[in-house]
Order: sequence, then C-alpha cells, then structure tokens
Amino acid sequence: MTAYGYRLAAVLPFLALGLSSCGDGDRPAQSQGQQGNGASLAPYEAYVAAGGIPPKGAELRNPHKDDKKTVDAGAGLFSSMNCDGCHGGGAVGWVGPSLADGRWRYGGTDEAIYQSIYYGRPKGMPAFGGAMPSDAIWMLVTYIQSLEPPEVVPTQSWDEPPRKSAP
Amino acid sequence: MIRSPATLQRRVPALAVLLCTLLAGAAAAQAQEDGQWTMPGKTYASLRYSGLSEITAANAKALRPVWTFSTGVLAGHEGQPLVVKNTMYVVTPFPNVLYAFDLTREGYPLRWKYRPDVSPNAIGISCCDVINRGASYADGKIVYNLLDGHTVAVDAESGKEVWKTNIGDMGQGETTPMAPFVAKDRVIVGASGGEFGIYGWLKGLDLKTGKVVWTARNLGPDSAMLIKPGVFKPFYEKDKGADLGATSWPKDGWKIGGAPVWGWISYDPSLDLVYYGVGNPAPYNPEQRPGDNKWTSSVLARRPSDGTLVWAYQFTPNDNWDYDAANENLLVDLTIEGKPRKVLVNFNKNGFQYTIDRATGEVLQAQPYVDVTWAKRVDLKTGRPEVDSTKLTGASKGNVKGICPSLEGAKSPASPAAYSPRTGLFYGAANNMCMDFAAVPAARVAGTPFIGAGTPYHAGPAGSHLGGFMAWDVTTGKKVWEVKEPYPVWSGALVTGGDVVFHGTLDGWFKVSDAKTGKTLSKFKVGSGIVGNPITYRGPDGKQYVAIYAGIGGDWFLLSGDVRSDDPADVRPPAEFMKDIGRHTSQGGMIWIFGL
Repeated sequence: MTAYGYRLAAVLPFLALGLSSCGDGDRPAQSQGQQGNGASLAPYEAYVAAGGIPPKGAELRNPHKDDKKTVDAGAGLFSSMNCDGCHGGGAVGWVGPSLADGRWRYGGTDEAIYQSIYYGRPKGMPAFGGAMPSDAIWMLVTYIQSLEPPEVVPTQSWDEPPRKSAP
Repeated sequence: MIRSPATLQRRVPALAVLLCTLLAGAAAAQAQEDGQWTMPGKTYASLRYSGLSEITAANAKALRPVWTFSTGVLAGHEGQPLVVKNTMYVVTPFPNVLYAFDLTREGYPLRWKYRPDVSPNAIGISCCDVINRGASYADGKIVYNLLDGHTVAVDAESGKEVWKTNIGDMGQGETTPMAPFVAKDRVIVGASGGEFGIYGWLKGLDLKTGKVVWTARNLGPDSAMLIKPGVFKPFYEKDKGADLGATSWPKDGWKIGGAPVWGWISYDPSLDLVYYGVGNPAPYNPEQRPGDNKWTSSVLARRPSDGTLVWAYQFTPNDNWDYDAANENLLVDLTIEGKPRKVLVNFNKNGFQYTIDRATGEVLQAQPYVDVTWAKRVDLKTGRPEVDSTKLTGASKGNVKGICPSLEGAKSPASPAAYSPRTGLFYGAANNMCMDFAAVPAARVAGTPFIGAGTPYHAGPAGSHLGGFMAWDVTTGKKVWEVKEPYPVWSGALVTGGDVVFHGTLDGWFKVSDAKTGKTLSKFKVGSGIVGNPITYRGPDGKQYVAIYAGIGGDWFLLSGDVRSDDPADVRPPAEFMKDIGRHTSQGGMIWIFGL
C-alpha cells in the first residue's frame, strides 16, 4: 500500500452530510473563463504565470462561498476526516499550522486551499483528493474560509512597567 | 512495609557526608564510574544516576555554561546526548541529523555529521511534534531511529552508515521517535501512533546486520504477541487465558487499537528480561472499544533474544483517559518485609507510583504521587484499579469534568525519573494538571489521526502552579521535597554521586538542587524551554560536565500557544491554561554544557 492509500469505504459513511448536492460529480467547479480578444489589452504574464499559478480565466472558485449551511457541514467534515487531529479543534493550530489566523503558507484563495487539501503540501499535509469527493473538499474550504482570525495577530503584548531594581 | 537497604539509610550530619564524599566515598564511586553515558538511561536499570561527584551542593553555585551549539533544528529537543570515549553524540529532531563532537579539542569541533535520507511525509503523521528521544551505543555503533520508520546504525568512529532497516509503516500512521535499546545482541525498537490507530509492536533487530529477528505485537492473538504456553505467566487471575490481546476488544478492534511504544526500555541481565511500557488504546473514545483492551497501558516483560512474553501487567484497563504507560521502568533492589525483592518502579501517567516484582509482575505498591480522581485505589489482590464511575468518559457522556491527572500525565513518559542509591530517593516531575474530557466518535482513515476527544487542561487542586519536581520516597509513599514550577515539568531528571539533582523547566531554566533537601543551588536561563534529559560525564580533562538540550516542543509545540517564529503563516492564540508561556520562551534547538 502506498503511504497515503486511504480506505475510501471507511470514510464514506461520514460524508453523508449534505453531499446530495454534489451534482457536478468529482470535478472541481470552474469559473467561466474570459473569452475573446480582451486579453490583448493586458500583458501576457497576467494570464499565464509561471510556477503553477493558473491562468486567470481558469481559477477554481468555491461554489459554496459564505453559505452558512455549508460552513456547518464543513465543520463536521473537519472533525470526521480527522483534520482537527493535526490542525486542532477550531483549526487554531496543533501539530499542523493554524488555519484560523488569516495567514496562508500556500495561499488562501479558493483554489489554493482546495489544492492544498486535494494534492497535499510539503511538510506533512497528506493528499486527501482520493479520500473525498470534490464537493466535500469545497465544504472544507468554505468552513476554513469562515474562521475569524484571533485578535492577537500580529502583536501579542505582555507590557508592564519595568521593575525599579534588577532581579 | 518496604525498607531500603541499610546502606541507603545514612542519616549523618552534612559535614561528615561532605568529608566522606571528598575522601573515601568519592574514590569508591569514581572507581566504578566510567564517566560516560552510553545508553538513554545511563545503565540497563535506567536509573539516570552517575557516580561522578565533583559537582556538589557546596560548589554547585559556581556552575556555568562552558559551551553551546545550535543544532539548526527548531522542533522539540527531547532525549539526551551520549558521551562515549570523549565524543559527544547528538541526534536532532526530524530531519534526525547525528552530530559527533570531539570533546578533546577546544570548541568541541565536529568529528563528523551524518545526515540521513528521511522522508518529510513523517511530519504529517507525528501526533506531537517531530521529536527524537536519542540513541544507544553498542558494539562500536550509534543506533537510533529516524522518524519515518527506520532504524540506522552508524559507525561511532567514522560516521559511516553500517545498516539501515525499515521497521515501521507510515501508511498506517507509524512513526519512530523512541530511543532504541540494546540488550545482548538485539536492538529493541517500537513505534508511535497511538493517535493513528496503529497495530502496535516491539521488534528485535540483529545488532550486527540490522535484520529484524522478531516482531512481537502488543495486542492481538497470542501467536502475534509471541505468547508461548507455559512461558507466559501473568501474576493476576484477570490476566490469564488464551488470546486476551484479541478477546478483550470488540471484533477486530485490536487491529487498529494503538498500543504504541514511545518511551524507554530497561533490562535485567540476571533475569534476562526487557521491560517496556505500552501506550494508549485507540481511539480515545472508549465506547468504540468495550473491554480491557489488553495490552494497552501496560508493562510487558520479554526475552530479548526471541521476544517471548514472560509476564504482563495492565495498569489502566479499558483506558478512558489516554493514560499511556509508555514510561520508563527503574530497576532497583529493595528489602520488603524483610525479604530482598527485585522490583521495577514506575511513575505512571495515571498518577500512581507502582512498585512491581520484576520477576513475577506482582504489584507490591500502588500509591498516588499527585492528586488522582479517576480511581480511588488499586486493589493489590486483583491488580485492578477501583475506578470512580463518574470519571468514566465516552461519546454518550458528553464533557466529563475534573479528571486528574491530565492525559499529559502526572509525569510524562517523555521526562524519565532518576534514582540515587546514595539517598535512596527517586527524582522526577510531578505535575499538577487536571482535564475535562469530551469524547466524540472517531473514524479511522489509515494514515490520519484517530483520536476522538477534546481534553482542555487546568491546574489541579494542589494550587495554581502547573508543574513540580519532586524527591519521592518509595518506602513511605511520600514526597520528601518538591520544587513547584509555574509550568509543567517536561525534562527528565539526573542525580549524581555529588548528591545534586538536575532538571529543566518549560520556561527555560536549568536548575541544580540539593538531592537531600531540594534547595535550588543554582539556575541558568537557557535559550529555549527544556523538554530534554540532563546527562553528566567526565571530560578528557578529568572534570565533570553536565549537558542538556534546550528546545521547547513535543506536546508543548502543540499546547503552548504561540511559541514559534519561523512561519509567518502560523500564528496562534495563547494557550488557555498557561497564557504567558510565550512571554518566556520560543522554539530553538541548542545543546548546553555546564561545568565548574
């Protein structure tokens, strides 16, 4: 068995949450790309960037963005798919990094978060693409994007008056 | 009633002790003390005691750092260095670099460093930071585990790899941070993964070739556990019967039942038994695994040559609280009711100190060393704890409050205790933390966490401090002294022939105390919180030195809130139960050496 060969059968019962709406099958939702000659008004680089960045017209978009019900379903998946085992309850950081601080190692766009879950990332994030249908991943993206960064970012202060004498 | 040998009961005036130490005592201790540190717990008995006696209560105030070195790694620096023939060997957390420092040259330059090819996939299946608990030296080789399920043997002189063996399956959630232990010609290793639902095991490798000679499961049917009829003799009735490692689980539950080995191993050559602790059952939610769940949260005694199980004792049947028993077992000989007994002493995560006949597995004592609420006592006739049913956990029970100690342990297995044959006392952490426990159903997806509980911590009834470091008298079941610490104590202990004891704190103090009184003699603030274990050795100049790692991490990477600064995309709120730890320390891996 490969390092991350998940047992899909074991997971399926936990994906019952609101998956009946997965009408688009297993393919990521795509935004409607710009067509026609308008592209010539902007530099080529803005459309086809190097380094794995998709052309503007082909970015993945979260079909459930800001949908409250999807946030709740995503929160359920975050626990049942064991995401919280690494990222902590509420995704505030555990052995894996915080996903609730408004900061992103690999980008916080719809597409970047989707890709992180689907393909995994270096430093330990497994690839869950084979373990969940596309719509379940979008539910997780929706939940993660709904998290409010804590107030301590970026300054945490313990300031108090200096003591009069050395310790 | 247990009595220590008469020699341990020396109660003489301080001046006489000092003179004694300086004259006859020191000479005797030095004669049998080779001044090295060649295995994790110093000796087979894992006592973390060194006879070196140059540093004493009288001169400890003059201790000062003489050398530091950054390992270049930020994760939790657990474990301890080794010192063999004037070389210091240091294993870092992932990526598990092995450094060999030449102690005979100024500035202790490297003789060599060994950089193994270790898979970063291991990072994602480590429950609790990417720590390593150290190496063992044997037969001219430094033997240690890589996090990704491999054991390596490196030539101690040349730094060349002698062998490398795959022992663990990361696909099932197995990682290997524990320190291998060498008994006879076997390298004995185990796997972590109690939070990933592994099928836990212990393996014996051939020291010469690295070949896996035997694999013994810690749970499952007798054949898999290397239980042979007539050889396996558990002391208690409850532990007798066929295939208990499978029948004390729901059908097939043992196949994903955890039972990791992430702590320390001891060996008694005269009985030819190795002793090791087995960790928690998986998942945390006990309603998914009714039964005793043998042999999780247990101590097992095996033959090193072929792994045969000789006896076993389960401390926490159907563990509801993640009370792994992965901790060290200190092997000492005590006189009990007039009879000399070979015992092992075990400071369990569950809050009881157990004294067990190490030939038979009979529990002679089980006495709480912190506030304990999950059980009232341990019945020595049956070997079972008398559990408080209001503290039982489970998904149907909601949030169960006020469970003491917390699942971090009254003393964590990560921070091994020490024993001084001179004072007759044990030294180690005694933490004051309790928890609430809200279990939820957990689904196993191989290679991902399989936990099923939220468990917030708070200070226990003993006060607002979370940590403590104590001297413990097994004969009375009482603390002789205690140093209270604001944060949980996660360093191991070291005690010496100079009757001083060393420990580190989570906020970065390295302390030396009088082994008899607990008086802090000297302390120094190192660069990061301490979760490693102090060692001592005699340098090539004949002087005594003490070494310790700085580098907060392990569970405290997870639990301390924001103690990292290397990742702009990972900023965390302070930990609820110790909001200001981030004021006093942050990550950083350093080796510190102190001397007079």
